[in-house]
Amino acid sequence: MSPAAPAASTAVLPRAGRHFARRFSGGITPTLASQITRAGGGRRWFSQQLYPARVTDTKGDQVNTWFPSLKLTPAQIFQREQDDVQGSWDVMADLSRWTVCRRIHSTRQVQELMVEFWSNLLHVPLGDDLAAYHRVSYDRMIRTYALTSFERLLLHATTHPAMGLFLDNATSSKQAPNENLGRELLELHTVGVDAGYTETDVKSSSRILTGYRSDVWWPAFQTFYDPSWHWTGPIRVMGFQHANSNADGRAATTAYLKYLAHHPATANRIARRLCVRFVSDTPSAGLVATVARAYRRNNTAVRPTLLAMVDHPEFLASAGAKVRTPLDDYVATVRALGISLGKPVDGDSFANAMHWHYRDAGQAPFDWPAPNGFPEVNGAWISSGRILNSLEVHRTLAFGWWPRDEAVFRKPAALLPALPATLEAVIDHVAVKVIGQAPSAAVSQGIATALGWSLSRRVTAEEAQRYWTLPTIVVSLLDSPHHLTR
Amino acid sequence: MTPDLPTPADGSGESCGCPDFTLSRRRFLATTVAGAGVLTAGQLFDDAWRQVAYGAAPGGNVVVVVSLRGGSDGLSMVVPRGADHDLLAAARPGIVVPEATLIGGDTNFGLHPAFAPLLPMWNAGTFGAVHAVGLPAPNRSHFDAMIEVEDADPGSSGRVGWINRVVGLDASAQPEGAVQLGSALLPTSLVGPAPALGVRRVQDLSVPTLANDDAAIRRTSLGQMWARTSTPLGSSVRATLATAERLAPLVASADDVVHPTAYPAGPLREVLANTAALIRADVGTRMVTVDYGNWDMHNGLGQPDSGWMADQVTHLAGALAAFFTDLGAAASRVTVVTISEFGRRVQENGDHGVDHGYGNAMLLLGAGVNGGGVRGQWAHLNDLNDGDLAIRQDFRSVLWEVLASRFPEVSGSKATVFPGFVPETVGAMS
Repeated sequence: MSPAAPAASTAVLPRAGRHFARRFSGGITPTLASQITRAGGGRRWFSQQLYPARVTDTKGDQVNTWFPSLKLTPAQIFQREQDDVQGSWDVMADLSRWTVCRRIHSTRQVQELMVEFWSNLLHVPLGDDLAAYHRVSYDRMIRTYALTSFERLLLHATTHPAMGLFLDNATSSKQAPNENLGRELLELHTVGVDAGYTETDVKSSSRILTGYRSDVWWPAFQTFYDPSWHWTGPIRVMGFQHANSNADGRAATTAYLKYLAHHPATANRIARRLCVRFVSDTPSAGLVATVARAYRRNNTAVRPTLLAMVDHPEFLASAGAKVRTPLDDYVATVRALGISLGKPVDGDSFANAMHWHYRDAGQAPFDWPAPNGFPEVNGAWISSGRILNSLEVHRTLAFGWWPRDEAVFRKPAALLPALPATLEAVIDHVAVKVIGQAPSAAVSQGIATALGWSLSRRVTAEEAQRYWTLPTIVVSLLDSPHHLTR
Repeated sequence: MTPDLPTPADGSGESCGCPDFTLSRRRFLATTVAGAGVLTAGQLFDDAWRQVAYGAAPGGNVVVVVSLRGGSDGLSMVVPRGADHDLLAAARPGIVVPEATLIGGDTNFGLHPAFAPLLPMWNAGTFGAVHAVGLPAPNRSHFDAMIEVEDADPGSSGRVGWINRVVGLDASAQPEGAVQLGSALLPTSLVGPAPALGVRRVQDLSVPTLANDDAAIRRTSLGQMWARTSTPLGSSVRATLATAERLAPLVASADDVVHPTAYPAGPLREVLANTAALIRADVGTRMVTVDYGNWDMHNGLGQPDSGWMADQVTHLAGALAAFFTDLGAAASRVTVVTISEFGRRVQENGDHGVDHGYGNAMLLLGAGVNGGGVRGQWAHLNDLNDGDLAIRQDFRSVLWEVLASRFPEVSGSKATVFPGFVPETVGAMS
């Protein structure tokens, strides 16, 4: 850290505001910093973000028009695949692109992160060929309820054809019940594997859920409730009991899902998972209990649960404790570099090509094959290959090598201070715009080493404009602990 | 990965292979957040269970695991002879490999004719197979079965693959000890607390250079930036820089030491050429994983001399033969084992393909292999498991024989590598 404040025109957010920005956005930018300042600080900005409809989102609205395939109904997606017009996998790639575009450009950053969070808990993979036709509809559902209550999320997710097709409930009948969703509902979506339920509970859980049919190839592409498939008879799962005497088992299912959503074990699991994503890998029992209490007292409502988490002192004390996943990193890198994406026109357009870029670098949204979602702990994301990949992505994007079409890159002059200036001052000035703060002394020294100059060297305008100079500073900042953690 | 499409052939509209209620299938890659089951960084990096050191001493043995993703049809690759062939021919009138066309093998089995490039190794006893091998219970889902095979620790909630557990036995393990080539993404088998490296090509194993285009300066620079970061991420960055430094001579000479033109064109050319170069460089690599997909032959499996299966086997055999040649003297310390998430249905379907099944064959090649025959117990085709070849040995028994034979230091740690598993004797290794 340089002793004097950097001579930057952009204000550096106070520590708390920076922490809110890094935890609850795709990455700090000068624009976000000024939004937080205007809102009166990180906490106030956060509470405004909990009501996304009230947040103006001009660029996000533009992004919403870029991928026409996302307007298709499930039946249209299926038919177009049958007619060799467009495969569902193409629509899935568009869903991935649109999601990342929104994480990069939307003003409604907290909504985007909560969509990611719930999508990872109630996970339906991007690569599931059966669920694919319904995956956009599923995403829309998650978006609708992301900031409402877990009860509503669970009710809609469990009975959605995307989930039914992914975890076999769509073909589970009273004659041949399939326990796939019945089990994961307990193990992954609600109470957790050590909540004390039995194999009999798993079978009962599966029987309640029978009837939510979804057919793809045969007899027709249709989704409907089929009372003739529903298993009837008294049901008991953990502390839940239901006569389940009606062939239309939807009321029984609703009662069951409400029971699970409100279960104390579910409250603890949701609370812990929120804390692991947004606070640290090792949240204290006190923090988890505080968040779980807010969840239960507010009928599983999301907003008061999140506020209880960020108002706990452990939240502000956790700066830098989380590793950015490869996708977090990609979004944050594009934001840090000030790259403005435009409407894609072909496969080389940034907003299209980036799907392959971030996927090959390790992570595309929802692109995890198993029902348990991407890991959310640091240890999963620190392998050597992941690190070298991130370094390569930083360099490729910072130099503007690829992708580059239909995207506006920030002009180098916008990053540089008045020159000549000491290298240390140049680094600080650039860093405030790229990572929202002046770097540590260790990072500054590392950058000086990369350039082969001393920090006190006077850098001239000619030297700063050489091909390698500015990108070496920028890439090093992106490769530093400041950027790879949040 | 190409998940199965449901076949409406039975008129129920249900996808084939849905496990029935009685099976009580368990998913083996459990949640990260199951109750108190969160893996913390501290737990992930607890060194207490690392027990032995077999590290980077020069000239160490190497096991290469080739994953035939998509569910390879073992009954077209290692084909039963005699009465079992009669049953197979009756079940597969359109696609069976005729007994007369089989090569190599032994009294009970013959190989698909496209294995011809590997026939010398079979005859020399350095290429063998085990049949009727698979998971302890059928799992006909690509995703789940793959995870089950690679995690190989039923009931565990940790995300630790079996190869990661092997390399993790060595407290001094370095990332280059366990390498996935062909992709930077670690397969499930490599995921876990022990260091592992995923990389497309050897030449990618370097830090991207910046000003001065000098890798050494760049490593010093990154080392300074991360010197005071005492987190697991910081440790991993420093270990990565050290790996990149150790491998710098190999990376610099990659154009000379990687010989892709010695291999047949196809998906294994680059990856096996890079694997051979990495092994010959002798930098302490003990386990390598390689993917060879495209085995999901629900339709158009083809004929013995042409078509999908013949093309797949031709490339596999040609590439592996080239690999052992390319290894040169290093071949004496390299063992290859193939594994696939499941075999295929015995009965062919209406599209001259085969749907997801159960029992399968594993191939073993190279150092220490008890080759020239098909080892282990055979399950016969008159005693099927729900229409599929049954299993007579758990895949872990085969893997354990390979590990115990090639890494004597590991042979006392079965409980760590395959917890709770009691291996059968298969005889796959000599």
